[in-house]
Amino acid sequence: MSSAPTTAPTGAPEPLPPRTSAPPSRKAPIGRGIALPGKSLPFVLALVPAAIVVAIVATLVSATGFHNFGWGFFLPGSASNPNGVLIVIVGSFLTAVPALFLSMVLGLGIAIASTTYLPSFASKLLDPFVDLLAGIPSVVYGIWAYLVLAPILGTVINPWAVAHLSFLPGFAGLPTSPTSAGVGLPLAIIVLTLMALPITTLLIRDALRSIPRDLWESGLALGATRWEVMRRVGIRHGSRGIFSAVFLGFGRAIGETVAVAMVIGSSARFPANVYDVTNTMAAYMFETLDAALVNATLGKLLAELALVLLVITLVVNLLGRRLVTHIYAQEVPGL
Amino acid sequence: MTAVIAPADGGPVVRVHDLTVSAKERAILDRIDLDFAGRSLTAVIGASGSGKTTFIRTLNRMVELTPGLSVSGEVLYLGQNIYDRSINPVLVRRRIGMVFQRPTVFPMSIFENAAFGLRLLHESEDEIDRAVREALERSGLWDEVKGDLDRSAFSLSGGQQQRLCIARALAVRPRVLLLDEPTSALDPMATQRVEATIRRLKEEIVLVLVTHNVGQAARVSDRVAFLHQGRLVESGPTAEILERPREELTQEFVTGRFS
Repeated sequence: MSSAPTTAPTGAPEPLPPRTSAPPSRKAPIGRGIALPGKSLPFVLALVPAAIVVAIVATLVSATGFHNFGWGFFLPGSASNPNGVLIVIVGSFLTAVPALFLSMVLGLGIAIASTTYLPSFASKLLDPFVDLLAGIPSVVYGIWAYLVLAPILGTVINPWAVAHLSFLPGFAGLPTSPTSAGVGLPLAIIVLTLMALPITTLLIRDALRSIPRDLWESGLALGATRWEVMRRVGIRHGSRGIFSAVFLGFGRAIGETVAVAMVIGSSARFPANVYDVTNTMAAYMFETLDAALVNATLGKLLAELALVLLVITLVVNLLGRRLVTHIYAQEVPGL
Repeated sequence: MTAVIAPADGGPVVRVHDLTVSAKERAILDRIDLDFAGRSLTAVIGASGSGKTTFIRTLNRMVELTPGLSVSGEVLYLGQNIYDRSINPVLVRRRIGMVFQRPTVFPMSIFENAAFGLRLLHESEDEIDRAVREALERSGLWDEVKGDLDRSAFSLSGGQQQRLCIARALAVRPRVLLLDEPTSALDPMATQRVEATIRRLKEEIVLVLVTHNVGQAARVSDRVAFLHQGRLVESGPTAEILERPREELTQEFVTGRFS
């Protein structure tokens, strides 16, 4: 690197014409100044998401009235909260985690098939269906699951599983609940899997599509099959997008309300086996809202439960992202 | 490809016969005949659009990954047509390695990059250790990386990454290595080191180098093949083609009148 001459050498091309407007002062910020009216709009717009998050959290916190339920918040016993919310917290994880797992496995499969194996005309034809799936209102999933899937589960699949899988822990015996005609954990998990599937599939597909062509061909040129390149190089290269799919899919699964309320059985108890009914945070809040209108303490309880749900999703997101960056920063460029 | 008997000494390792590649009605490569002898480096030169990259990609059936291209004619590797219906392209690519224009290291450690092809073959750990070291030595990278083989391959410079890609291809001990403008993304110093590696390797295996850089062909190759608009204009020993070409077109290209 040679130092650039500070003055133009003689015989250089004509100097640039003088600027018509005054040059900006050295102190003036470039591009996103807030000094001038009209220039502050981008700044304000960029602040909107942060402002919304802060506003929601702050007002939700104030809606709790800082009511201290003590352990009665989580555990049964208190008058306004006879069952404790631990049941619905556990119920949320019991439905969201398996659903997330299933939708990740299925999403990976679909994304790999679409990006790697299908001829381009076929993936062009089939890919839009993933977007369509994302556009189905959740109440439609709920109604469909309740009317169509629940009878199948209750009369065919659950009895079969009891007969053949009862050696597995939790798979023995049907629940004693009268609402056992197919509703319960398995149905909620199926519905949540379907509802998380579009977001996981789309994110994984985009991540896998971003694999540079020559990187892909380098694997094939070493005598790897497409599957070997995908498994050893592609997944790793797309790991950032794949982890985004985990976090967003989790948020979708744990936050889904209406469809779950329709199929979970809405019962305030820990499930006794894998077919049992229970409840989730989101569905419980939805169902309890009417009662909260006439019971201020219950309203505060719901606000606190909403904060719990919010904190769970935020923590999962932030910690997850940090973890991924930490693990992969060394190996994947662009993280 | 298992029962192929190697041709008598001096015979070509790779023989291209009447090779045509076309997209729809248009021929990208038009009836190419070219031999590649053992322990030699052939530079395939030509302007952009001359078909040289398509040509090198026919030598390990990489061309089939581009949709819409059809290949006719033969590419004989040790006497066997690699386009024969009974031949698995995956196996072809294990014998005929390739290095690309841009360094394409995988998101893993230096060691695992070099070991990639060996892991596909389920070699033992001892054998992998040995072959990785040998490959890194042959690519001229060993002395620079031997202390930190577990570091991410992305920590290497561009030139080192490209030599790692060469090592990765060499680790499975191919008889032929295809180099598709391997220095086009590198600075002059890194280019020099890759060229030194290439010159050493041509004592061992068959090298086919695609380059648009006549100077590079002069520096490293034994033979030159000049492609123009999908046709092989002429081929022969490097000095002959670059200094006393028979064809006017070749003369114009090597003297820089078009590129």
